[in-house]
Amino acid sequence: MAKNKGYIALFLIPTIILFVVVYAVSIVILAGTSFTEWATGTKPVFIGLSNYIKMFTDDSDFTRSLINTVIWIILQSTAHVFIGVLFAIILNMKEFYWKFARTVFMIPNIISGAAVGMLFLCILNPEFGAINSIIRLFGFKDFSQNWFMDYRTSFFSVTMTWLPYAAVVTILVLAEIAAIPEGLFESARIDGASEIKVNLYIVLPLLRNIIGTCVILSGTSMLQKLDIIMMTTGGGPGNQTMNLPMYIYKTALMDNNFGYSNTVGTFLVVFGIVLVLLYRRIFKIGNSDT
Amino acid sequence: MKGMKFLLSILKYLFVLTIIVLSIGPFIWVFISSFKTNAEILNYSIGWPQSFKISNYLMAFKIAPLTQFYLNSVIVGIFGTILNLIILGMSAYVIARFDFKGKKAIVGICSLSLLIPGAAMLQPLYLTVNTLGLYDKLIGLVIVYAGFGLPASLYIISSYFQTIPKEMEESASLDGAGFIRTFVSIILPIAKPGFGTAAVLQFLLCWNEFQFAITLTTGNKSRTLPLALYYFKSQFASDYGVMFAATVIVIIPSIIVYMLLQKQVVSGLAAGAVKG
Repeated sequence: MAKNKGYIALFLIPTIILFVVVYAVSIVILAGTSFTEWATGTKPVFIGLSNYIKMFTDDSDFTRSLINTVIWIILQSTAHVFIGVLFAIILNMKEFYWKFARTVFMIPNIISGAAVGMLFLCILNPEFGAINSIIRLFGFKDFSQNWFMDYRTSFFSVTMTWLPYAAVVTILVLAEIAAIPEGLFESARIDGASEIKVNLYIVLPLLRNIIGTCVILSGTSMLQKLDIIMMTTGGGPGNQTMNLPMYIYKTALMDNNFGYSNTVGTFLVVFGIVLVLLYRRIFKIGNSDT
Repeated sequence: MKGMKFLLSILKYLFVLTIIVLSIGPFIWVFISSFKTNAEILNYSIGWPQSFKISNYLMAFKIAPLTQFYLNSVIVGIFGTILNLIILGMSAYVIARFDFKGKKAIVGICSLSLLIPGAAMLQPLYLTVNTLGLYDKLIGLVIVYAGFGLPASLYIISSYFQTIPKEMEESASLDGAGFIRTFVSIILPIAKPGFGTAAVLQFLLCWNEFQFAITLTTGNKSRTLPLALYYFKSQFASDYGVMFAATVIVIIPSIIVYMLLQKQVVSGLAAGAVKG
């Protein structure tokens, strides 16, 4: 065993180096420079809490980004998860289409966000997009809604690029349903329970844990959404569809305001951790009921 | 009661149909439109093209250096996956098989990295990559992506190692095989399916990643495929058919890989997700 010690260290070192280069150094830079004034080509200058004070009191773009991010987190942890769970329960009836539907539902999740953004840019194009063309077929001859760039519809349009695509939720829930012992279903059916009742009273309660996981997963994924927004609206019009990642990208790489962008980045990390703790707490309380 | 049942099943099929249309409708429409001329696109947005012309596709390759972007994506995808699997295959093995001081701490810290949203690391990683002299180089992307896949691969591979019975190594060491030989010639071949799942997930990550690809490169020589659509959006904009063709060109490989490796993709996404 003792002679293995050297090998154990040898096998761990590459992972540790990778972790340090990609994560540890980043976190130190992120937190450290969040207290500085820093632009390209200059040295960071310590300015205390000024960035944080500005962020919380005097930055309407940040406020809008935070509000949008929170709205998207809420929608994604509820409506998105609901769609995924419902779809899993329907697929689990194993009707003729179930394999096809499962395969197809996955496609938007495996192509790149940039491509999804491009698809939506095409179908929502005001001139030739499929959506407007279909609406025109119904008689609204001059219908030319600019879905992404109109204040009234931009938030909705961006939301639609991810809200319905809950295939990962569906797959996780399907796997969990498959693990439920067959006997439970049979005894319920013998007792004369309908398909709906079986799902409502037997399947759903057993899915509580996996649904909790899905809620955390779907909610926190909204802290990452950048590619689709960059492709479609760039956060606009104005700051209508700005979220925290888009705002960080904009301050860091378009405005070259490194110090401030890292202040927002630090906030995003802390926000994410608080969010996960909050979710864990909600679902713990749920568990103790049973 | 019967009417109620009927209504519910109508609603069910409506829901399934909506989901299917939302999932492939946009792609199918873009695919069909990619064979149309500009005039057809503007006048008959819904409908078949008069003939299936591939001129839009040829034009797309002419306007944007798509071949270069393709090649870059393939290189980054393959090496980002290999580097990730080698590094994490090694540590996953010792974590799954041996007890040592600080093991819990290492696993804990690695899973903490999941809590850091990518966007927060945009500027810091830009600085690190720049300082290492890897800015605008494919190797920079390879290292960063290998790091992003760290928690998921560690989890997937080490759980697979745990399913391999310990007797395999014991008999190997009785036969006089050393640490490295046991790992390379006994353990690795058995763990292939675990590596396969991790590899598919990691490859998709490298292939689809956008925000760091755009931050860590400049100029066409190291840009990857997802960026093509972003940078040539305006060039394509005057020629809609070409824009559609370019979109199809970017999407098709992902769909092919998915169709071929559906099982691995699904189990990889599920395993990677649960860890989050």
